[in-house]
Amino acid sequence: MATNSIKLLTGNSHPALAKAVADRLGIQLCKILVVQYSNQETSVTIGESVRDEDVFILQSTAPGDINDGLMELLIMINACKTASARRITAVIPNFFYARQDKKDKSRAPISAKLIANMLQTAGCNHVITMDLHASQIQGFFNVPVDNLYAEPSTLRWMRENLNVRDCVIVSPDAGGAKRATSIADGLDLSFALIHKERARPNEVSRMTLVGDVKGKTAVIVDDMADTCGTLVKAADVCIQNGAKDAMAIVTHGVLSGKAIEALNGSKLVKVVVTNTVPHEEKKMMCDKIETIDVSPTLAEACRRTHNGESVSFLFKHAPVD
Amino acid sequence: MRQTQIFGGSSHPVLVESICDWLGQKPGEVDLGKFSNGETSVQIRASIRNQDVFIVQSGSTKMNDSVIELLIMCSACKGGSAKSITAVMPYFPYNRQSKKKSHRGAITARMIANLLAIAGVDHVITLDLHANQMQGFFKCPVDNLVAEPLLARWIRHNIKGWENGVVVSKNPGGTKRVTSLADALKLNFGIVTTDRRQMNQPHQSMDFSLETDTPYYFDDEYEADVDNEVEQEDTKTADATQSEKLGQQPEGVGSEPTTPSRPSVNRKRTISNSARRRNQGTGSGIPSSPLSRSALPGNSPEDSPSLDALVKSQTEPAIPPSLEQDLTEEFTDERARDVTVGRLRHGHIVPEDYPSPAFSAVSGSNHGLGRQRGPQSENGDTDRYDPMTASFMSTVSSIRHDLAADNALGGSVDAAASSEEEEEDLRNPDLETTVTLVGNVRDRPVFIVDDIIDKAGSWIAAAETVVKRGGATKVYCVATHGLFGEDCLQEIEESECIDLVIVTNSFPIEAQVKARMKKLVQLDIAPLLSEAIRRNHYGENLSQLYMHLPD
Repeated sequence: MATNSIKLLTGNSHPALAKAVADRLGIQLCKILVVQYSNQETSVTIGESVRDEDVFILQSTAPGDINDGLMELLIMINACKTASARRITAVIPNFFYARQDKKDKSRAPISAKLIANMLQTAGCNHVITMDLHASQIQGFFNVPVDNLYAEPSTLRWMRENLNVRDCVIVSPDAGGAKRATSIADGLDLSFALIHKERARPNEVSRMTLVGDVKGKTAVIVDDMADTCGTLVKAADVCIQNGAKDAMAIVTHGVLSGKAIEALNGSKLVKVVVTNTVPHEEKKMMCDKIETIDVSPTLAEACRRTHNGESVSFLFKHAPVD
Repeated sequence: MRQTQIFGGSSHPVLVESICDWLGQKPGEVDLGKFSNGETSVQIRASIRNQDVFIVQSGSTKMNDSVIELLIMCSACKGGSAKSITAVMPYFPYNRQSKKKSHRGAITARMIANLLAIAGVDHVITLDLHANQMQGFFKCPVDNLVAEPLLARWIRHNIKGWENGVVVSKNPGGTKRVTSLADALKLNFGIVTTDRRQMNQPHQSMDFSLETDTPYYFDDEYEADVDNEVEQEDTKTADATQSEKLGQQPEGVGSEPTTPSRPSVNRKRTISNSARRRNQGTGSGIPSSPLSRSALPGNSPEDSPSLDALVKSQTEPAIPPSLEQDLTEEFTDERARDVTVGRLRHGHIVPEDYPSPAFSAVSGSNHGLGRQRGPQSENGDTDRYDPMTASFMSTVSSIRHDLAADNALGGSVDAAASSEEEEEDLRNPDLETTVTLVGNVRDRPVFIVDDIIDKAGSWIAAAETVVKRGGATKVYCVATHGLFGEDCLQEIEESECIDLVIVTNSFPIEAQVKARMKKLVQLDIAPLLSEAIRRNHYGENLSQLYMHLPD
């Protein structure tokens, strides 16, 4: 008789987060060996039985090795499927290829859709993710997708660490306005928006601020900080428009390329990211980075999914540490 | 070709260029790159609406990037309304992970096949899949091309004295590949097999078997059932039939310490077609001690001393005159009766008197194998016998784990020949493996053949076996896919036993590495692939590409 308990597996992308989630759930990480052969092919061996178990596989995007992480995840899912797991839930805090979600040019691939199909083909029954770049990605799947929000954790962090009365929420682009207004409403603050014209990806051109930031701390809110060009420019614009100082709160701190240099040389006093993406090394190089721990939210989502409880509670509330 | 676009992934631009040259058209314009966060970016520049699209992508040293790039390119073409999408994959990534190796291992090759399908691939052209059965993983048509005609032709044209050569498989799993090439070249073939056994431990059971005076052999039933992988438990028909030497394979003996009269499963992998034929042919066996039976002296005069040294036989088997006559015949599979045994440590052949470090105290009994010196009888030495290390069970659990898993899951012999495990064993300093060469290679050039060269260990071991034990004159390593992981090429270059490595350019090798390697011959596979592409586009028959055509 199988116990049908939670089994939490993880690859090499973000062991720290997996450990935190496992600790929160009060379980041990499942024994698993994920290695690369000498010819760079990934090999997965699961060290304990998963037959008829509820399997959760946590894999994030380690910058630079996105494709390795993706293949690891797919092979782990496939290994669990062939090993007769009852249900396989992929926990992907930062969804792969989330920004390639539309055919913005002729013959451009919709990679996010491809990833969704690949996950299902590998044998994934359920996906838990966080702050998708576009909620429409949920529609790429034919299996349930729980898109969690880092917002409750973010709000709590702001209440605990900032003089909230003194802040104004700024969205660096029109696409993020919804996210910014939601946070502004949650804290009952005013809101500003920066309009930008983007020439090419990862390159920012002219920006104009709509709204009032005079004499306040401008809190720039976005879902992803990659090369940080947008954030740095947005901070400049806020300061030019009379803000006292500027900081940024971002869900996925990918911080790739020259992000660290950009942040170190910028007017931002603080960059707050969640730990959906591993960034410990970068934290050493830039003392402006602070971390919000979202592992309680992910763990609670796993627990609720496993027990068949409602997950929507987590959309508004962050579990207490 | 009209209404066709050929796109190349970033893994093997040279091959793409070459294929397009053969087809007389330019590769389709495509921008490949990476975003700063490491995500792969693909932008198809050329219009592909209602065209036949061929995407050429091999593996590379960033294997996963190559796979994902191919998938995204296919997806982009699908989204761009291509009429059909054909993935041309000279090296099929993950093609060795085609079975459940251990418990809960993934069948990654099947998953890749499924991923290709959902990315929009309508047709796959590939080359020498590790297992032919993998074609069943796909829902779409697969053309599994073969490089064998190309390799055979090159051998016929470029190697002097190839007519006298012997084609040798370096593991039992690749036998089919080897016999096929041997048939094409009309040459003899042989097998080198290493067995994962600690030389010093199972001698306990070997002595045991000697004491019982029950020779090892296959009975006819067993042989008949080998292909069905039936484990024959019953060998009580001891006197019924006796095959004179295959049965003595020490691995079978060593793996079952308690029941000396029971053949183990693994023995079946040493059976070659020819050996089986031979066994049926010569019904009259030679009952004698198993070890002595491995040597068939008298084949050539120099054979006797070296083989004697090898196997330390106590009794010289009497060879029926009829057998000796058979041996003199040229180019018959009868040759496969020549079995040579050697010892491997660290992946290299060692002399027979090389001490076994893990068990040097009684190493004399290793090769001496006196009948009276069973562990039970050596009372004075029992304190040297650490039951924990000498127990066979500990070997089973620690070393034979994977093998046991294979058998537990019903893994077939062909599929079970995992080079990864083999390599691991070769590198294990505490493990001594016994290497067995079936077939006569004396004074002949040897072609060691497999589908993939990845790590050098097993190739060097096989080469040393045929040279140092078998007396081969030259060793040519022949493979379709030269992956050359880690320091493989360097090790091959430094090995004095390997003369030449012949591979196709299905997998990219860096130009500067290639320039350093004198032993490497790379055959261009582009003509074959481009012809397959052309024929596919025009709906022509592909079967000529599988044939050995006269020059």
